[in-house]
Amino acid sequence: MEPQIWILLGAVGLPFVAAVLTPLLYRVVGERVGYFGVAVAATSFGLILTQVGKEGTVSTSWIPSLDIAVRFHVDGLALLFALLASGIGILIFTYATTYMHGKPDLGRFYMALLAFMGSILGVAFAADLILLFLFWELTSVCSFVLIGYHTDEAESQYSARMAMLITVGGGLCLLLGAILLSIGAATAVDGAFNLSTILENRSTVTETLQSNGLFTPTLLLFAIATAAKSAQVPLYFWLPRAMVAPTPVSAFLHSATMVKVGVYALGRVRPLFHGPEWTLFVASMGIVTMFVGAVLAVLARDIKELLAYSTASHLGLMVAAFGFESHYGAEAGVFHLLNHALFKAALFLVAGIVAHQAGTRHIDELGGLWRELPITAGVTALATLSMAGIPPFAGFYSKEIMFEAAWETAQAGGGLAWFYPITAVVASIFTVLYSLRFLWLFLGDRPDGVGTVSRAPAMLSMPALVLAGGVVVVSVAPDLAIDFIIDDGANAAAVEEVHVHAKLPTHVSGPVAMSAIALFSGIAIFPFYSRLQAGLNRADTLTDRIHPTTLYDKFLSDTVRISRNVRSAVHNGLIRTYVWWVLLTACVLTGLGYATAGLGLPAPAFGETPLTIVLVLGVAVVAAVAISTTETHVTGVLTLGILGFMIAIFYILASGADLALTQLVVETLLLIIFLLVLEEMPAFYSDTDWSRISRDAVLSLVVGTTTTMSVLYTARDESDGLTQTARYYKDHAVEGGGGSNIVNVILTDFRAFDTLGESIVIVIAALSVLVLLTMRDRGETQ
Amino acid sequence: MTFALAVTVGALFALGTFLLLRDDLVKVIWGVTLISQAANVYLITLGGVTEGTSNSVPILADHHEPFPVTTDPVVQALVLTAIVISFGMTAFALVLSYRAYQENETMDVTEWDQ
Amino acid sequence: MTTVMTRTTARVVVPIILVVAISLFLQGHSHPGGGFIGGVLTVAAFALIYIAYNLDYLEDGVLGREVEKEESIGEHRTVAAYRRLFMFGLVVLVASTFSGMLLGDPVLSQYHRSIHLPLFGEIELASALVFDVGIFCIVVGGLLTVFSVVGAE
Repeated sequence: MEPQIWILLGAVGLPFVAAVLTPLLYRVVGERVGYFGVAVAATSFGLILTQVGKEGTVSTSWIPSLDIAVRFHVDGLALLFALLASGIGILIFTYATTYMHGKPDLGRFYMALLAFMGSILGVAFAADLILLFLFWELTSVCSFVLIGYHTDEAESQYSARMAMLITVGGGLCLLLGAILLSIGAATAVDGAFNLSTILENRSTVTETLQSNGLFTPTLLLFAIATAAKSAQVPLYFWLPRAMVAPTPVSAFLHSATMVKVGVYALGRVRPLFHGPEWTLFVASMGIVTMFVGAVLAVLARDIKELLAYSTASHLGLMVAAFGFESHYGAEAGVFHLLNHALFKAALFLVAGIVAHQAGTRHIDELGGLWRELPITAGVTALATLSMAGIPPFAGFYSKEIMFEAAWETAQAGGGLAWFYPITAVVASIFTVLYSLRFLWLFLGDRPDGVGTVSRAPAMLSMPALVLAGGVVVVSVAPDLAIDFIIDDGANAAAVEEVHVHAKLPTHVSGPVAMSAIALFSGIAIFPFYSRLQAGLNRADTLTDRIHPTTLYDKFLSDTVRISRNVRSAVHNGLIRTYVWWVLLTACVLTGLGYATAGLGLPAPAFGETPLTIVLVLGVAVVAAVAISTTETHVTGVLTLGILGFMIAIFYILASGADLALTQLVVETLLLIIFLLVLEEMPAFYSDTDWSRISRDAVLSLVVGTTTTMSVLYTARDESDGLTQTARYYKDHAVEGGGGSNIVNVILTDFRAFDTLGESIVIVIAALSVLVLLTMRDRGETQ
Repeated sequence: MTFALAVTVGALFALGTFLLLRDDLVKVIWGVTLISQAANVYLITLGGVTEGTSNSVPILADHHEPFPVTTDPVVQALVLTAIVISFGMTAFALVLSYRAYQENETMDVTEWDQ
Repeated sequence: MTTVMTRTTARVVVPIILVVAISLFLQGHSHPGGGFIGGVLTVAAFALIYIAYNLDYLEDGVLGREVEKEESIGEHRTVAAYRRLFMFGLVVLVASTFSGMLLGDPVLSQYHRSIHLPLFGEIELASALVFDVGIFCIVVGGLLTVFSVVGAE
């Protein structure tokens, strides 16, 4: 069944419209504007829910000349992602109404949050590469505003800027990849930017890309873009930094939306790039991130930091799953997309509740919280066990399928391919460890110094409870979720027809053994958690110098330093310097252009030059020499007048009557203005520095030679008659413009827009002169 | 004819560049004027220069006569616009430098406060 | 410059310049000329008056009115008139630019029609003339304002 375009436009557009209205509403109703956000998210969610089970592409034109359109594609994967974003959006807005109570700048906060949700929904449905890029970058911009919520804190600014630089940089890679892809697609299929046609005809597109040698570059660009967005090694470091944002933002951005955009895009293009190179780049990147993230999560001392690294690790799991060629890969990636969103959003909300009620987020200062926060403790238990992948909780099913994919890849590849399952198991051990550690905040002993902890308000625990309910449903009856949406989603990311099976293992196999090893080792090592942490910490300090954050800082400071140096060389405030750089560059580039074109030296065609023209031009050049060597301002201006009149006579000789008239009058007026102004100006400055004069003469000669060459290369042979354009104007001057002076008809009718621009220049010049002279005393003066 | 024009345009550009590099602001403005004049002549040569005679203006006499051989009217329209714009620019630059002189009390750009 | 010779010449030349300017402006669509040329030439005529006499001459010499001394040049009555002309030109230009849109045509669409007048014969009326009037007024108003302001320094 075809989806309906207006429902999709409504679902994606509504949050943006609401975002525009939010600041106005905030003035009227204050922070209750949060409930407005809840309503918007719920409306979008409801609209998207009506599309479940539909599949297809709908579009409405946008830039037809470039074949760019507002195309929306609906299938299981898009619906899953959109439902998660809007559904969790409802919960986040509900949670934020209480959590952000009494905080400043809530108008801006909710505006950015709504716009962010709209962009995510846009990414989910976009089936046009340009549209995808647009929404992709919009998510980055909105997240910049959200992460930098505390605008006056240096750390917040730093983190927001870092997230922005990394993810927008990744977005630029996406744009480049999309353009390369469209080059490949343009020759293969209609609609160069139409992602759904590209995916439908993927074999033709892939062949074209491969024959052009563009396949691997395009794949790599997409991989880098998703790595930046989904916090993969080595671009993961912005994610833990982004935890300076208020908790609702972290819960929204880093569980279900922002960071999932990369994973989602990988799932989208997986059928297109599917192959050995894909596995090599994407699966390796994912599996390394899964490991690094899990280790760093064990090292973390702050509960949000722990969750951030754990998010990176789980994103790695999904990326790796999509990277494997086996059909299990697509299943695991899509299934874990859902599971991770449920348990991670819940855990972030829990972290917020803990920080809100206990007043600290430091892991070592927290413990035994179940007495005061019993509901939260229950939510945490469900979510952490799902996160650890302990059967029969939801996370186990998707992780198990991912293990199967890794196992199958290793068996098929042999040798080095065993790296995948082994790393996955080691990473899972760490996953079990940090999951248990998080759970221990509620179960373990109560350290000294924990103040009084009050019960969480209902509005805070309710959203977490809803998410935990989701975890329970998927754990108890995974088939419900699979039938509802997971199967459709997996089919969108898979090459072949797939059907997801989620059940508890009944017999021992490779993947089952992997899970068992991870689980039991994790539980066995847990008692030695702090000793392990200390050991890892020592190893971590050793790698400080090559830590990505250090490299990022160095890159930034180097860039600043280099641009300062460039500025002082190129942009030092002296006209001379600018003229040197601009003219020299122009001449060198022009010269290079002529040289590479292999035109050879132009033949000096002397032809028959009328004596009058030679005379007039000769006088003009002599006048120009006189201007350059004159001793006083007044003689210079008068000589300039001579030059202008000579040019006017040249126009007459070249049969340009209008030109000559204009030039004559303009020259007269210019002379008057010059004389009026010069009256007020001081006498002359003569040049005495001969070495400078000779250096300037060299540049002048270079410029002169280049222009002479250009004229010789480009001048039109008059014997060719009129150009096509000129002939068109000539033929249509009378009937189309109602005048027989072609030049004037062109100016006022055919190309009146140019004339409009010209008059605007005059207007601006006149106004500027007025402002400069009559308003000098207003505003700031020295 | 092209060669004569090429040499003229080249010479005007060279002298204009030389003036642009002076410290005296009035000379810089002269340089700008010189270069825009040269650019206009260059534009004319791009359309092909035809020597004028008494009836070779781009005007269709009595609306339907055969069009006289002339310099390209499109280029002429372009240059006309360019003349006007360079006039406006020069006038503005002059007044701007006059005000700059008033504020800095010198016409020498190197002596201005950075 | 305010010698007897310049003044006498100006008296003779200025009316001629103005007539030439207006004829160049009006015939612009079919012969050499046009709004810009006509406008600049008009400016030249006024500039000549300004140089030969002074800014007040237009008021006390031509119109025979009392000249009030204003504090700043921007408030001088003549300059204010120039400024109004400048603004009028801008309005005409913008109106002419967008008037085509009212008839459902693109921006800057121009129309023309031949009409027969008794005694005068066929004349061509083109809406481009309105556009030209706008340019003429902008050039005259703008440049004269600049001249008087610069000259007052």
